[in-house]
Amino acid sequence: MSRPGYDQAREERIEERLGTVLRLGVRASSVALGLGLLLSLTLGNGALSTGLMTVGLVMLMATPVARVAVSVFEYGAQRDWTFFMLTVIVLLELCAGIVAALLFHTRL
Amino acid sequence: MPVVTPSLVFIILAAGTVAGGLGATLGIGGGIFLVPFLALGMGMPIGAAAAISLTTVIGTSSSVSAGRSGSRLINYRLGMVLEVATAAGSLLGGITAQYMNQHALEQIFAMVTAAVGITTLSRLNKRNIVVGDTLDCGALGGRFEDGESGGVVSYRVKRVPLALCASFIAGNVSSLLGIGGGVIKVPVLNAWCGVPLRAAAATSAFMIGVTAAAGSIIYYGNGQLIPALAAAAVLGVQAGSTVGLRVGARASARSLKLLLALVLFAVSALMFYRSLQ
Repeated sequence: MSRPGYDQAREERIEERLGTVLRLGVRASSVALGLGLLLSLTLGNGALSTGLMTVGLVMLMATPVARVAVSVFEYGAQRDWTFFMLTVIVLLELCAGIVAALLFHTRL
Repeated sequence: MPVVTPSLVFIILAAGTVAGGLGATLGIGGGIFLVPFLALGMGMPIGAAAAISLTTVIGTSSSVSAGRSGSRLINYRLGMVLEVATAAGSLLGGITAQYMNQHALEQIFAMVTAAVGITTLSRLNKRNIVVGDTLDCGALGGRFEDGESGGVVSYRVKRVPLALCASFIAGNVSSLLGIGGGVIKVPVLNAWCGVPLRAAAATSAFMIGVTAAAGSIIYYGNGQLIPALAAAAVLGVQAGSTVGLRVGARASARSLKLLLALVLFAVSALMFYRSLQ
């Protein structure tokens, strides 16, 4: 089975899906970071402001991971197994980063 | 680790805005300006500066790529292929950064910025050549509407192994120094791999989110990321890059490149000086 190269309809579909994920991630994390920062500046550091900023940062770091996960689903749905495998590898590499982060965390 | 005070938060918010604006104007991320400012200006350990900068890289990558939806400038297929290499590079860089000597990191930063400055100067008068519009793009090529050429342009990707190598190195440098790594990928993709400059920059901006996420997760786990300062830097860079993208679209490419090279040499000299102390 020959796999087509450039396919405009499929590219546009991917572009739309990934754009939505990125936009949502950035907006949600910016709101959490902004609120948390505003609270910490006006009321001083508290559990709420620190919590909001932590949630914002975690959402920010999770956005590219979510974007890769959506790519895996998209390429799987399109039965484009070459790109399905490539995006799975990227997702595994990001997961390895999370494992490394946890290892460093317990060491301290 | 620096103590978080309201004035420090405001300084970093302002620095993020300037770095984001300058970075977006020049078509690179703000990290290359933010890291030296935090390390040299504010006296932070380079790890803490890199951790803050990496979170701003994720923010810039996500918002710029989301904003490009519909322009077809981002080559997703090429991006997904190169991400395999860049994520591996940044993973390795993030782990080695935890064990590396502070002065060695500063010297690497000085060398990388000087090398990028020289590359920029050497390409000062080179314009990218765009191929015709009926070309078979191959498995990884792309097509987009190019305003300067007044029509649809197509391109093929050449020397994929070289692009993979450059992406691996870019990922590695990204995690070690807290920059996006586009300064390495974009010139290589453009000069040797046949990708038009605007497509190379857009695809690189799309990829650096994954690169920076892999690196910043490790810094975060190691407790080197200060939430309030990262929040201020991310919001500042977002605001600054929105303005910078508009300015950059209007300014002449030649003067931008010249300005970029001068700033890079200055940063390089300062970093080298600091590594000797």
